[in-house]
Amino acid sequence: MEITVEAIVFLVFSAITLGGALQVVLTRNLFHAALYLMLSLFGVAGLFVLLTAPFLAGAQVVIYIGAITILIIFAIMLTPQVTRVLKVHHTQWPVALALAALLFVGLVWTQTPLADELGADGWSADFTVEDPADVPADSLTDLGKSLVDPERYMLPFEAASLLLMAALIGAVLLVNRPDDNPDAEAAPAAGARPDQSG
Amino acid sequence: MTDTLVDIGLSHDLAVLIAKLVGVFVVATCGLLWTLFGIWLERKVSGRLQDRLGPNRVGPFGLFQTLADTIKILLKEDLVPDGADRWLFNLAPVLSTFSVLLLWVVIPFSAGWIGTDLSIGVLYLLAAGSLGMVATLMAGWGSNNKYALLGAFRAVAQLISYEVPMVLAMLVPVLMTGSMSLQAIVEGQYIAYGLAIPLTVFIFLASSLAEIGRAPFDLLEAESELVAGFHIEYSGMKFGLFYVAEFLHAFTVGVLATVLFLGGWRIPFVSAQDTPALLGFGSLLIKSLLVYLVIMWVRTTLPRVRIDQILEFNWKFLVPLSLANLLVVALLWKIVPDTDQIASVNDALLPTLVLLTANILLIVVTSLILRERGRRERAHIAALYGPVDGAADAAPAGVGD
Amino acid sequence: MFEVPGLGDLNVAATLPVTSLVLGTCILLIVDLFVPTDRKHITAWLAALGIGVLLVLALLALGEITEFGDGEEAFSGMFVADAFTDMINVIALITALLGVMVAYNYLERTGIQRGEYYVLLLFATAGVMFMGAAGDLVVVFVALELLSIPLYILSGFRRPQEASEESALKYFLLGAFASGFLVYGIALIYGATGTTNLHDIWQAAGDIVAGHKSGRFLLLGGAGLALVGLGFKVAAVPFHMWTPDVYQGAPTPVVAYMSVAAKAGGFAAMARVLASGLSNFALDPGEAAVWQDTVWLLAILTMLLGNVVAIVQTDLKRLLAYSSIAHAGYILIAVAAAGTAAVADEAVQSVAIYLMAYALTNVGAFAVIVAVERDDATNTGLDSMRGLANARPWLAAAMALFMFSLTGIPLTAGFVGKWFVFKAALAADLIPAAVVGVVTSLVSAFYYLRIVWLMYFEESEVEVSTPWPLAWAIGVASVGTLLLGMLPYILTDMVREITLAFGG
Repeated sequence: MEITVEAIVFLVFSAITLGGALQVVLTRNLFHAALYLMLSLFGVAGLFVLLTAPFLAGAQVVIYIGAITILIIFAIMLTPQVTRVLKVHHTQWPVALALAALLFVGLVWTQTPLADELGADGWSADFTVEDPADVPADSLTDLGKSLVDPERYMLPFEAASLLLMAALIGAVLLVNRPDDNPDAEAAPAAGARPDQSG
Repeated sequence: MTDTLVDIGLSHDLAVLIAKLVGVFVVATCGLLWTLFGIWLERKVSGRLQDRLGPNRVGPFGLFQTLADTIKILLKEDLVPDGADRWLFNLAPVLSTFSVLLLWVVIPFSAGWIGTDLSIGVLYLLAAGSLGMVATLMAGWGSNNKYALLGAFRAVAQLISYEVPMVLAMLVPVLMTGSMSLQAIVEGQYIAYGLAIPLTVFIFLASSLAEIGRAPFDLLEAESELVAGFHIEYSGMKFGLFYVAEFLHAFTVGVLATVLFLGGWRIPFVSAQDTPALLGFGSLLIKSLLVYLVIMWVRTTLPRVRIDQILEFNWKFLVPLSLANLLVVALLWKIVPDTDQIASVNDALLPTLVLLTANILLIVVTSLILRERGRRERAHIAALYGPVDGAADAAPAGVGD
Repeated sequence: MFEVPGLGDLNVAATLPVTSLVLGTCILLIVDLFVPTDRKHITAWLAALGIGVLLVLALLALGEITEFGDGEEAFSGMFVADAFTDMINVIALITALLGVMVAYNYLERTGIQRGEYYVLLLFATAGVMFMGAAGDLVVVFVALELLSIPLYILSGFRRPQEASEESALKYFLLGAFASGFLVYGIALIYGATGTTNLHDIWQAAGDIVAGHKSGRFLLLGGAGLALVGLGFKVAAVPFHMWTPDVYQGAPTPVVAYMSVAAKAGGFAAMARVLASGLSNFALDPGEAAVWQDTVWLLAILTMLLGNVVAIVQTDLKRLLAYSSIAHAGYILIAVAAAGTAAVADEAVQSVAIYLMAYALTNVGAFAVIVAVERDDATNTGLDSMRGLANARPWLAAAMALFMFSLTGIPLTAGFVGKWFVFKAALAADLIPAAVVGVVTSLVSAFYYLRIVWLMYFEESEVEVSTPWPLAWAIGVASVGTLLLGMLPYILTDMVREITLAFGG
């Protein structure tokens, strides 16, 4: 592979993504794990930039780092374990490691003849854009329109909105205490009110 | 500048790189130097607003007060609390300032004066802003202090909640321009958007105030409850960095409001092509300072609200309102003819008037609903605990129950 | 601005069955707000009514009597409306109708009667129907999530009961993990072919096999990962671990619905993705599809494990969970058979037949469990069947019928399903799979017939509640099971038109 600036940047972002992901699993501190997750997702955003998809990169940061991971951290901070460093309680991991290694070796061993037969050809695809300049400059408008274009992605887009609604109903349903009186919903801050008059 | 560098024999890529680096250096340094003056201004203005004098000892009108403070802060001992998460504790203030400076990359200071005119400018602002949230969390958690942790808790609840109406408000100028690039938004404002959509400006400013954690939304650091919230354990220049970040963020909100709603660097009645770069910059600065003055005014006048009130205000008032607002604007923008080819003040006149009328209607309707709600609430409280202050317009007891 | 195509060009009419269901559900969601808590039977009635009307229309469409949702494809290939779609619609709607009938009184007596139950159930049904009509991998994915997410929530519907919460959490975590596999698979398939449209994928796969295009490994990886994701949804071994725990913990009416809906959706997606989009993806041109071997191996594993482990179960819900794993294995044989181009149509038809038979039988069996289950979610052990025949002869007869059908005894729907599946397997030369299928069916007779034995030849006190909706559901399911078993040509007629292969 020829060493270009893109290749170096790609390697750096890949290292961030994979290293971050690895640390999420390896670190014993839940809070650190969440921060490493953030780092990993940031690396993915970098890869999107490299692919000249700035919108996806921005959305990645806003949604995954700005909202989802932050909420994960919020949930972690609500657990009593937050300040404790987790210990490994089980002793089965060497067995798991050995099995995983065995599986990996097995896969490589069985697949190598096939890979040899197919050659490097099997790994690459033909439709890729060779020249980055061929990527439309204003892919943002194209993306936005294709989502609401009935000829393209309108159907899955609308179905996804249904999906989100179902998830929303479920979230409300699951956190709502069953003994709550639905009529009490009109005045949720009722518990905080007495100190106004007092 | 790129051309000059190419002329002296550098390759084009290298020249661009150097030019960009110099730009970054200049903007970041100017931004930080501006804080020295800005903090003095802020203290002076809020002093006057609260019937005090403000700083007046160091230098003429106390101008060098901030400088003196900076030197003091630099000389302070650098403390790291016992049991703190060192890495996070030290990284947080840097990240905090960093996230604000990042915002300046896409801000158009004048015609052609822009770091990078990203096609996703508005989205970028949100992305960079969310890094600040991470910094707050890191500080709150890394300090090993329960007040700091509580501050961080509140930060998450508040910042995430208020991001929703802020995004919905920022979408309105994006929708009207048809682009997320900030430069394009400025150039599209033949008549400042703020004149057409005052309600959106209000929503943006209110939610931004909460985003930067300023009074009346400064629950992240509420002195009376949390001592200082997430930065309670910080001293010396690390605290200084938080302070600078907070100030710069507040000022940046002023700049953003100007760019999004007040025509940015454009001078009224002068076309974008005819605006000299330097005058444009001056125009941006003056408008931003005016917006910032309003922010200071709010800060010094309004008392802090409770956390449940803050969240209620957001989810039950701002979010529905901003959704309705976005829908109304989107609909009208589609109905009014030729909104996609506005090229002069005259073209922009009709849409502006239509939107303004709609906005006023929306404001009136909202106020009526609020008035009714307030009346019922007061009657409810009166029925429960006896009459409240100012019960003159409260309905007779028992009506709301 | 882009040109807005007319409704005619888009063929929106083709999507009518599912769009009207979705619209109805949204209206129901709003109507439910105004239904007082103690009168939720209104919501249940409305849901059942809506499903009933759609079911009649879908049956008419299947019989080609009316033009309800016909017309090849809609939204430029995103949505396919063919005979397979109609069949999946019918299966999904029957399951939903029975699901509502089974649930109503159970929710009432366990104190979890809420309108959202029916809304979520309808959303899941819409997911199954979308899946049957998917002409694009994006739709497959969205439909799969639309099916799964309501099911995760429904599993935890008996909050704060711990078993129910545990079941929801397990299902959700593993389900999300499996979705990840599916998305990665879709990404790799896109990477190899440059499209997510199934017809275009079929063309690109043809080019890749013929050597005109590269990317064979990418496509192989993509197909494998997609198979993992879908295998999870249908509970194929080795992706079955969640099934017993989830089935045991979730409220029984939910399991009755979920055990069929998730399978119908998963197999519909498998049929669309493997038997249709990747049907010609072989290592050498003219051979059977490359995924065939994997699928029949999975099928053998699934049948063996499901049937053998079911023998030692003492809880009815767990037993039926392992039985449902086993049945996934039988259907997988049919999917594997679809890898041979010559028998592809026959194999896909047998998938549809089996799903139909399984839907009626399995919902019926779970409905009987609902009848014997106590309000505190106990009494679902094998013992609860003891002496049922004396106390409630009709209920016992129905349960016996369901057990016979699940075993695959002639004159029941289950037999018809197995018959066509094994026939397709033999036609595709999958002799080992067919042999294992027959042998494991014999094994399964042991635990199914033990239940019949307990009902008829043992004595015990029985306490059963069969309010009329539940009784009707059991009645409909048993009549259906019997009818389809005695008159198999009803089923073969229903699926006659199904053909998924592109371009012949």
